[in-house]
Amino acid sequence: MNVRGIALALLSFTGMIDSLYLSLKRDAGPIPCHITKGCNDVLTSAYSELAGIPISWFGFLFYIAVFSCAIFALFGSIGLLRWLLWPVVAAFVISIGLVGIQAFVLNAYCEYCLGSAVIVTAIFVLVIRSPKTVANTV
Amino acid sequence: MAKPILVIAIAVALAGGTAYYLTRSAEPEATASSNGSVAGKSSIGPGHTRGPADAPLTLLEFGDYQCPSCRAYHPIVAEVLKRYPDKVRLEFHHYPLIQIHAHAMTASMAVEAAGEQGKYWEMNDLVFELQPEWSQSQNPETEFLAMASRLGLDQNKFMQSMRSLELQDRVLKDVVAAREGNIEAVPTFFLNGKPIQPRLSIDDFVRIIETELQAQGAGEPAK
Repeated sequence: MNVRGIALALLSFTGMIDSLYLSLKRDAGPIPCHITKGCNDVLTSAYSELAGIPISWFGFLFYIAVFSCAIFALFGSIGLLRWLLWPVVAAFVISIGLVGIQAFVLNAYCEYCLGSAVIVTAIFVLVIRSPKTVANTV
Repeated sequence: MAKPILVIAIAVALAGGTAYYLTRSAEPEATASSNGSVAGKSSIGPGHTRGPADAPLTLLEFGDYQCPSCRAYHPIVAEVLKRYPDKVRLEFHHYPLIQIHAHAMTASMAVEAAGEQGKYWEMNDLVFELQPEWSQSQNPETEFLAMASRLGLDQNKFMQSMRSLELQDRVLKDVVAAREGNIEAVPTFFLNGKPIQPRLSIDDFVRIIETELQAQGAGEPAK
């Protein structure tokens, strides 16, 4: 069993739940924070949407893509993981930007968004460490 | 080829089910934590009301003037009052989250100070409308003074009221009540003492209000 492939699948599965929860909860009224302060501020800010679509939905699609590649890789189609490199790099950069917006523009933090940033960072580390190795050893 | 697709489909369905379950299960928790008793807390002040005193429904809001989502809900609440002029009364209470909104307390004081000269709701509307400007300001008091001037208020009286301990106490009473009620987010709404979680849409407010009116037997569809 390839640990890295399984780790990618588990991380992206958790990310799917997190982003989907945010997408559904965002449309269902004020969102309370339990650890941080300001979930509602973050999730209703101008930065929470892209072309009118909540960015959590884009996150959900990203996690589906990572999960799909990880599963195909675990079943032997290892080449697919190579496709992940640039989307993962892009997601990592976007995550840094979104955390920066929370810290320096909104002065409010959303624990679910921070959780997603941690997941993206872990995926980034797994993929960037050696994208070829990831592909070749799964 | 079919096996990975099956695994992916099952995982997506499982993630969807889990997220949906978490969304649903969070609601009773939020309801329990900000239970309806907050409206009857002895520490809560009378709040400021808008709408007829004998309205069958009281929409109580705990809000923060520097909170962007309170600003987003503001025109929707105004639309509710417009649609139900005889049936809904708004009761606003302050909950300035000063840990994340540095000027929220000053904004509450500014609105209360305007209220001392009979312009509470005018200032309330203006403060929400101009939130993006004053919330970025280094010295929001100047901005609030300009708003007071725009509303034709006596500026000296306004500044004196801004420093009034009595008004500060009024705001803090609301804060204590909000904390006692374990209110976790702003805005938080109660309809006739019951916590509600309306979406950011007039349709959802209308749905909740119509249900409550029907339960009271006062149901008459909004225009």
